[in-house]
Amino acid sequence: MRGMKIYEARRHRNKIAVVLYYSAAVFGITWLVLILFTLLREGVGGLSLSVFTQNTPPPGSAGGLLNAIVGSLIMTGLGVAFGTPIGLLAGTYLAEYGRGTYLAATVRFINDILLSAPSIIVGLFVYEIMVAPMGHFSGIAGAVALAVIVVPVVVRTTEDMLRLVPGGLREAGTALGMPRVLVISRVAYRAAKAGLITGMLLAVARISGETAPLLFTALNNQFFNANLNEPMPSLSVVIYQFALSPYRDWQKLAWAGALLITFAVLALSIVARLLGSRKVAQ
Amino acid sequence: MSLANAVKLDLRTKIAVKNLSFFYGDSIALKSVNMPVYTNKVTALIGPSGCGKSTLLRVMNRMYDLYPRQRAEGEVLLDGENILDAKQDLNLLRARVGMVFQKPTPFPMSIYENIAFGIRLYEKLPKIELDGRVETALKGAALWEEVRDKLNASGLSLSGGQQQRLCIARTVAIQPEVILFDEPASALDPISTAKVEELIDELKANYTIVIVTHNMQQAARVSEYTAFMYLGELVEFGGTSHMFTSPDQQQTQNYITGRFG
Amino acid sequence: MPEHIVRSYDKELEDLGRKIAEMGGIAEKMLSDAMDALANLDTDLAHTTIAADMRLDLLQRDIEEQAILTIARRQPMAMDLREIIAAIRISGDLERVGDLAKNIAKRAIKLSTEPRFPRALIGLKSMHEAAAMLLKDALDAYALRDAERARMVWSNDVELDALEDSVFRDLLTFMMEDPRNISFCAHLLFCSKNIERIGDHSTNIAETVVYLVTGEPLPTDRPKGSSQRSRLAAPPAAI
Repeated sequence: MRGMKIYEARRHRNKIAVVLYYSAAVFGITWLVLILFTLLREGVGGLSLSVFTQNTPPPGSAGGLLNAIVGSLIMTGLGVAFGTPIGLLAGTYLAEYGRGTYLAATVRFINDILLSAPSIIVGLFVYEIMVAPMGHFSGIAGAVALAVIVVPVVVRTTEDMLRLVPGGLREAGTALGMPRVLVISRVAYRAAKAGLITGMLLAVARISGETAPLLFTALNNQFFNANLNEPMPSLSVVIYQFALSPYRDWQKLAWAGALLITFAVLALSIVARLLGSRKVAQ
Repeated sequence: MSLANAVKLDLRTKIAVKNLSFFYGDSIALKSVNMPVYTNKVTALIGPSGCGKSTLLRVMNRMYDLYPRQRAEGEVLLDGENILDAKQDLNLLRARVGMVFQKPTPFPMSIYENIAFGIRLYEKLPKIELDGRVETALKGAALWEEVRDKLNASGLSLSGGQQQRLCIARTVAIQPEVILFDEPASALDPISTAKVEELIDELKANYTIVIVTHNMQQAARVSEYTAFMYLGELVEFGGTSHMFTSPDQQQTQNYITGRFG
Repeated sequence: MPEHIVRSYDKELEDLGRKIAEMGGIAEKMLSDAMDALANLDTDLAHTTIAADMRLDLLQRDIEEQAILTIARRQPMAMDLREIIAAIRISGDLERVGDLAKNIAKRAIKLSTEPRFPRALIGLKSMHEAAAMLLKDALDAYALRDAERARMVWSNDVELDALEDSVFRDLLTFMMEDPRNISFCAHLLFCSKNIERIGDHSTNIAETVVYLVTGEPLPTDRPKGSSQRSRLAAPPAAI
């Protein structure tokens, strides 16, 4: 056959390419597996009931992460509670009302920048507008900082998910004589429900591991604290502090905390992925 | 002859399209179209893709208002009232002029809610009465027997043909005066298509119907009047039986016999 | 008119037209052969004419089958629909024309044993000329899609009817003059009836052509010849 030579060469190149792809994939996954493995090996040793029942100890004594876990939960919860509605509304504006307008394009551009902005800058920003005027670090400032990170994530997923809702569904609603607000809230949101929840979960996953913005806002607290007006501990900041310390006990707790966060995020991601696979009705 | 005259005398105009032109941005999609839509008759709009038939349909309930840069000039009189008027209440208009789309578009909610939802927009009914209305609508769309035992199942769980009949039921439920069909059977199998056509035949007793279709046999089967459009112009309007056996215009002839370039 | 997008559709329609033309040719030839056989009492020619009818019947069935298939396959509309309906109708008329010509040929065979009476044939001859003219004009009108010519056939049939009336009176007179003529003239009476029927079928074809071209049917009441004609036309022609 005339083209045999060319065909052979192409087959050869194909083989080389496939080998390269596989090696790259294996290379990437190796590190992930190593990280998870180390985390498990070091973290499981530190895990015990006291981790969930006792507060962070002074150096040299036994203790747990209770105050940090609660602080993380409070600030993450508040951050999502503040950020999600704003993000949802802004995303709705972009997808439903602002299509093709200059304002929407600008908002979208800024949102994308915010989405990829280093979180430490968010921390500094909130430090400037809240911590500095108030004169002290506080849990509420931490929550606000996390909310600032939540907003762009939710804006983005909301817009994307609403855009995936078939236009025909909106027209069908409109054709029944529904006002636009109803078309969006009763039809479009419903159709995109799974996707919207996924976006929120992703936002939670994103902020639950954040350290930098909390360092500048909520700081840390050795003691149990549910008062939003005072410095508040969080898992990520505690890990940061303990991991860098020379004390063996603290290091062990840091590993345990890291394990907790990782699995929480993993669980959230899996749930988000499961919901996301159904993204939009139809 | 006298019979035909008697029928003619019975015709009342539900919608009168007068000098209607339509623009997508700068490009013109309809050029000064004039045609009537008669009460309780089925009027079919046919023509090749891009001829403006769907555009004309979407002017009749002002669906185009959803999109920027689309505008209409001229008059569309619904019972003598110009619906293109800026003062026209759009939601009210759409309650009077319902629409069924090419692709079935059930809302992501239960079968029952799909229909009840539209009714609740206009009326506050006690549960029993609402149930009755839902049932009537489903019966009207020849779907009741198939779904009576699973009213709480998602509308999306139905087959394509059933979904389309659900959409028709939803439209009928709010008791419009005119129903616009935008290629209602083009995504359906022949059996479902036949059911939808049968439905249209039944609906014309109570509603004025306008249907856009690519399927000429369908137009010939379901409609009493046919409008043939080409390049944004109305080429010919007339009785369907006349149009499909001996149209007046050569262009119509070429199109319906499959001689179009 | 431009061609169909599906070109095999055009071929199917052309095919129908061609077969109608062939049928027309055969029918015309059968008529003139049958009349020649009658005039000359030529039994050979009469047998040939009878044999030709087979082909005509076959063609007619063929056209009908093909037309039905085309309807099923293409769902023809407008002009095409009328084209196909016309083919079915015209082929039916031509098949009947063939039957009538065959019947004349059969009578020619029978008459060959009877005593001749040439004077009686003169009227039939002019009837034949008129009928052949009608048939030819009707077929031409079909071939040219000429509604005007078809309308002419339609109104000219009156003349043939008038001719038949006079032939009828002539033959009646001959029979009264000499009862030995009765058998011969009775056969000719049937022949004249057949020719008159051929004229009717020609007008049918003409009507179909007008419908084919304009999409409008002709009025149901045609111009009538004499009152006698309607009485005679009542029973179907004997075969």
